Amino acid sequence: MDLVDFARGPALKVAFVVFFIGVLWRLVNVILLRHGRMLSEPRRSVGAALLGGIKGMGSRSWPHPEFIKRTVTGEALGYSYHIGLFIVILFFAPHVIFFGSLVGMRWSTLPNSIITIFSVITLTLFVAVLSRRVGHPVLRHLSNFDDYFSWFVVALVLITGLMATAHVGGPYQTILGLHILSFDLLLLWYPFGKLMHAFYIFPTRAIDGYLMTRKGAPS
Amino acid sequence: MSALGDIPIHVEPSAEKSVGREFGVGLGAILSELATLLEALRSTGEEGAIDLRSLPLGPNDLDRLRRLLGSGEVDIRIDANGESRIRETAVSGLWWTEHRNAAGEPLAVLIEVARVPNILLTADDDLARGAVRLRTVASAQFSAPGETPHGTT
Amino acid sequence: MARPDTELTIGELLDRNGVSRRSFIKYCTAMASLLALPPLAARAMAAQLRAARRPSVIYLSFQECTGCLESLTRSFAPTVENLIFNVISLDYDDTLMAAAGAQAEQARAQAMEANYGKYLLVVDGAVPTADGGVYHCAAGRSGLDILSECAKGAAAIVAVGTCASFGGLPFADPNPTGARAISSLVPGKPVVNVSGCPPIPEVIAGTLLQYVTTGRVPDLDEHLRPTVFYGNSIHDRCYRRPFYDRGEFAKTFDDEGARNGWCLYELGCKGPTTYNACATLKWNNAVSFPIQSGHPCLGCAEPDFWDRGSFYSPIPTARWGKAGEVSPAQAGTLAGVAALAGAAIGAGSVVLARKRINRNKRTKSHDSEKGNEE
Repeated sequence: MDLVDFARGPALKVAFVVFFIGVLWRLVNVILLRHGRMLSEPRRSVGAALLGGIKGMGSRSWPHPEFIKRTVTGEALGYSYHIGLFIVILFFAPHVIFFGSLVGMRWSTLPNSIITIFSVITLTLFVAVLSRRVGHPVLRHLSNFDDYFSWFVVALVLITGLMATAHVGGPYQTILGLHILSFDLLLLWYPFGKLMHAFYIFPTRAIDGYLMTRKGAPS
Repeated sequence: MSALGDIPIHVEPSAEKSVGREFGVGLGAILSELATLLEALRSTGEEGAIDLRSLPLGPNDLDRLRRLLGSGEVDIRIDANGESRIRETAVSGLWWTEHRNAAGEPLAVLIEVARVPNILLTADDDLARGAVRLRTVASAQFSAPGETPHGTT
Repeated sequence: MARPDTELTIGELLDRNGVSRRSFIKYCTAMASLLALPPLAARAMAAQLRAARRPSVIYLSFQECTGCLESLTRSFAPTVENLIFNVISLDYDDTLMAAAGAQAEQARAQAMEANYGKYLLVVDGAVPTADGGVYHCAAGRSGLDILSECAKGAAAIVAVGTCASFGGLPFADPNPTGARAISSLVPGKPVVNVSGCPPIPEVIAGTLLQYVTTGRVPDLDEHLRPTVFYGNSIHDRCYRRPFYDRGEFAKTFDDEGARNGWCLYELGCKGPTTYNACATLKWNNAVSFPIQSGHPCLGCAEPDFWDRGSFYSPIPTARWGKAGEVSPAQAGTLAGVAALAGAAIGAGSVVLARKRINRNKRTKSHDSEKGNEE
């Protein structure tokens, strides 16, 4: 069994199982934990609060006008590389085949040249956000191992992917094997680090929006 | 099963239209490489060649290249354990060379960049051997009696 | 002219046989093309080859289908007769030689003795090692035995075909005969693997020719294959590559894409992970190769190609199933079970946490009541 077969075989299976166990474990855990009782008098109806929750998912995903000058760099960087990642992950032909083979359908792909442009841009932005994290005194103070390791795990997948398409660093199979292995690592780490934000981000924003509206504050 | 009429009929587009266009990836590169080789031949006298069988060419690329280069004045046929054809292209100094084996199957296809294709030139060894041979024949059949023959085997 | 053939240089032999200089140059031009040498290297090669002596070659066959030898006999440049009469001295090949039985074995013994340390051993087929090697016997001896005897005096060994190179079909799971690749059975001997099922005829002939021309083992890749032929992947040299890059794929064997000659990646083409010369040298004297004929590459020149699931499942598919790729249903079931397990663990940990909190609270309130009493 060579590296590719190991990476897309047993290693992928273990990572796949750990990913689903981990994600559900943490989600159920958070949902079932006791939440603080709302002590204030409800100002708005439950229906309005639910709408507020939906609104919260949007409004909290956009820079607050008052702080826009201070936060816009970080937000722009963050949004850009997320979009880049999604395009590369979802529309590169081999990725479509990979995810497609697991979910049982395939969708259209983008030409490789476009994918390459996006992945190079994304990697550049990735380096930019890391240097910002290290260079910014407050951000650096707030960062822990989790932040750096989560960055590393995603960057590794991106770098090995680019290496595989560009044929650098070794025979294609080896690099492809490393690329899939780094994706396995990403799946393993996903539920236990800050990557889990993908599952938390919108529910928490919705809950905040709901509670704020219920208390009569703008969501 | 669906009726016969339901089976979609696909009309193959002509080779020139689809295949020629789609597969013509490396032709531009070949042409500029040939131009470079021609310039080198002129300035340094160094001969060159492009091996057309080692390039990832599509089914119609060879024909297209041939049409692009056209044909010139010289057409040489060599009969050496199978036929070889060396044809001058419309571009002077470029020789479209095809070597075939005794069964007529192609062995090599290349474009040579030279004033005269190298394979035509007679080698020194062969010149020497030819001289020896002629002298032998001359001395054996035409020499006057008493005269010493000049060549030996 | 009383000297034996093996003492003559190839040049002397050609002169004796009346092969003209031009036909020899022509032949070398074809060879240079085959070996991916610059076209003008043919002149240097002609000089080298004329000065070389024909090496004695012993050709052994083990667990194989003779497809590799069939392939070699269809070599156009050099043709097999050209190769065995002018370039090498084929002293033993139980399929091609006229002699049989004891005479054949005697020919092998003589050739080995006369050229000890200098002959080239060519092997096709894997060698069974289970149960003392009884699954391949010839002339009353096991394949293992014959191989080790012949390997001892060989200057180099050329393993022809995927079976000899990597074990191939006999080696495929469950490998009942304990088949093994040649390189694993001849420690310390230089081995050149010429893989493929079968290898391209010109690649087999070219590898032998290169050995004769240079007198040494060529540059090899990590699987011991000559880099001249196995240096590029099929994908990198494929004329359909532009379709891959543009994202134009045939989805089935009879759709619009297939008819227009689009990339066969989604139909399971193993071109990106297969290193061979099919896309440039092609087959049947450069007529075509599988992809040009509309079929994905099977990856036959790579180790374990029989055991990598369906030939028609694309490279980037999950492969943890016993028989290869994972169906969406299997993946979904596994994800579902894992998710349920995760949810149970999550719920369980919450229950435990609440119990602990309640217990702590109780002890706390108990303590504070006590404190009040005092």
